[in-house]
Amino acid sequence: MNSQHYRQVVEIRPSKGLFDLELGLVWQYRELLYFLLMRDLKVRYKQAALGAGWAIIQPIIATLIFTLVFGVFVKVPSDGLPYTVFAFTALLPWTLFAESLRRGGISLVGDSALIQKIYFPRLVIPLATALTALVDFLISLLMLFVLLLWYSIPLTLNIVFLPFFIFFTVVLAFSFGLWLGPLNIKFRDVQHIIPFLLQIWMYACPIVYPLSIIPEKYRWLYNLNPMVGVIEGFRWSLLGKENAEFQAIWITVIFVLLLLFGGVVYFKKMERSFADLI
Amino acid sequence: MNDKIAIEVSNLGKAYRLGANRRHYELREQIAHIFQSIPVWFKDWPGSATTNNMLWALSDATFKIYQGENVGIIGLNGAGKSTLLKILSRITAPTTGRARIYGRMGAMLEVGTGFHPEQTGRENVYLYGTILGMTRSEINNKFDEILDFSGIGNLIDTPVKRYSSGMYVRLAFAVAAHVEPDVLLLDEVLAVGDLSFQRKCMEYTKRLQEKNATILVVSHNMFSVKAMCQRVIYIKKGRVQFDGPTEEGIRIYEEDCSLSELNLPGSENQKIKLTRFELSDTDGISKNVFEYGERIRITFNYLAQAAIEYPNFILNIVRSDGVVCCSYSTEIDGFSIVCLKDQGVMQLITPPIKLVAELYTIHVIIREKGFQKILCAQIGSNFHVKHHIFDINFGVFYESGKWDMGY
Repeated sequence: MNSQHYRQVVEIRPSKGLFDLELGLVWQYRELLYFLLMRDLKVRYKQAALGAGWAIIQPIIATLIFTLVFGVFVKVPSDGLPYTVFAFTALLPWTLFAESLRRGGISLVGDSALIQKIYFPRLVIPLATALTALVDFLISLLMLFVLLLWYSIPLTLNIVFLPFFIFFTVVLAFSFGLWLGPLNIKFRDVQHIIPFLLQIWMYACPIVYPLSIIPEKYRWLYNLNPMVGVIEGFRWSLLGKENAEFQAIWITVIFVLLLLFGGVVYFKKMERSFADLI
Repeated sequence: MNDKIAIEVSNLGKAYRLGANRRHYELREQIAHIFQSIPVWFKDWPGSATTNNMLWALSDATFKIYQGENVGIIGLNGAGKSTLLKILSRITAPTTGRARIYGRMGAMLEVGTGFHPEQTGRENVYLYGTILGMTRSEINNKFDEILDFSGIGNLIDTPVKRYSSGMYVRLAFAVAAHVEPDVLLLDEVLAVGDLSFQRKCMEYTKRLQEKNATILVVSHNMFSVKAMCQRVIYIKKGRVQFDGPTEEGIRIYEEDCSLSELNLPGSENQKIKLTRFELSDTDGISKNVFEYGERIRITFNYLAQAAIEYPNFILNIVRSDGVVCCSYSTEIDGFSIVCLKDQGVMQLITPPIKLVAELYTIHVIIREKGFQKILCAQIGSNFHVKHHIFDINFGVFYESGKWDMGY
């Protein structure tokens, strides 16, 4: 009836091919992604007096506490950098990752009304969530540049790699979300486990302490944590450390690719029963 | 109508695992369940096969709907109508079979689910529009029309949490109504909202019909099914029982409905039930279409399994949209029954029926003395009231008043 629409055919079957990921559909619904993102941002800050200020308060408070506890009292080494800068640079990607993961885990359940009543590619929901956390991150990134100016730490050419690390942090959290979101639909325990998991995980990352305190012979084991590569990458590109921890970065890249691909396949498989289980 | 297929469904079925339809699992319970079921693994219990744990909400549905057809899906609650619609709208996947839908599909299973209360009307129009599959430029083009249709006016930039529920639904429907699908799946949305809103819905579906759209509507309202559809698919216990002309389908459905149980709380253990139910005029001629102002003779047989003292028989006349219009009770009408045993016949002759022209259903409820515990709750049967003027716009009933002028 509408001449610009070709006569599309929708095929409904009990199961689709495992690798029939329908990514084209997500592209078709890209504008929905945008409006979901806007909704999440607006809703979060609309009735808060500080508005988007809350996005930077969290890493700032954490940095202050860590500076006091680990920098001043315990005197944890910080690779010769001011402890505040050292911790904040690592807390940025960590907060991005943790927030994105935490919200990703509950996002599907949060939109259960939509899932039960309207069809659209469900992948749009975790995508929007991951991008929401990215907006918060960009605000606090500005804060970091202020801090670098304050301590007069010069930027190096390494900074051109920063977008790459930001991208991988988001994709990593998104990939975890692809696994945890559907799991949370089946087992609501997941949303209670995630905060614990993140708390433990944080101390398994070189955030409050430098990577250099990990003995060289255990380094490979430590580097299996995909966040190590990201955090070290941030310090390398922003603070101009001599040599990057390339082994850790490679592990992150491979980990992300596997987790992402597996996650999309798993998500698409589970997607078909979301409405029945939620 | 032409012979281009719009919806093609073959052997479509959906099974739910019994016990799996809970809100959500807990890991702990899941683990406990595994341990509990270990003994079952080693025993060859009769009926422990997995197929017995499946509930087929819909099975073996096969039909073709051609472009421009308007088809009503009818059936009792839980018969599988909504399951069919959910599968066709791709919200849930079928267990067996397949379906093909040709053209742009729109589904209205519940209007306004995409709305977020904190967002303004305008923001929600865009969000909901894109959820329903419109593009942003499409919404831009139609925005004034949507606003006009909804009648929200300058409140469009106010958060929808400040809207009344009527405004909320109106705006949501206005968005949904501008999707302009080739194939529309409707689920009872016509039953919500006030009268003027319902009229708008009817206009909208009419406009779609003129554009040769295919409409599949699930409804309990036989009146609107009759008005909209030339064909009905009657689903009974998950199976397509009838597929054909509306009149015949509704007749079969209503026959099946007669004497079926009403799901009222506490009406499970029935000590008494109705075995026959019949409507006739005062001369005893059986019929189910009555003129406005005619008396209705209602006759029914009961079968009591135990002696019941002082039962209170209540007959409710319920309009097709669920409004209870009037009610007759043995106790209130001063007809005292000391004791009921075995079987018997009862009869009620109503006063002249002044209800407006519509479709009504009679519900029979038998309570213990007074208005205590429900002993029985059944659907009696349907009847129509005919009148050339008095319809639902005149209210529930029309009765003449005494007029006068200046004194």
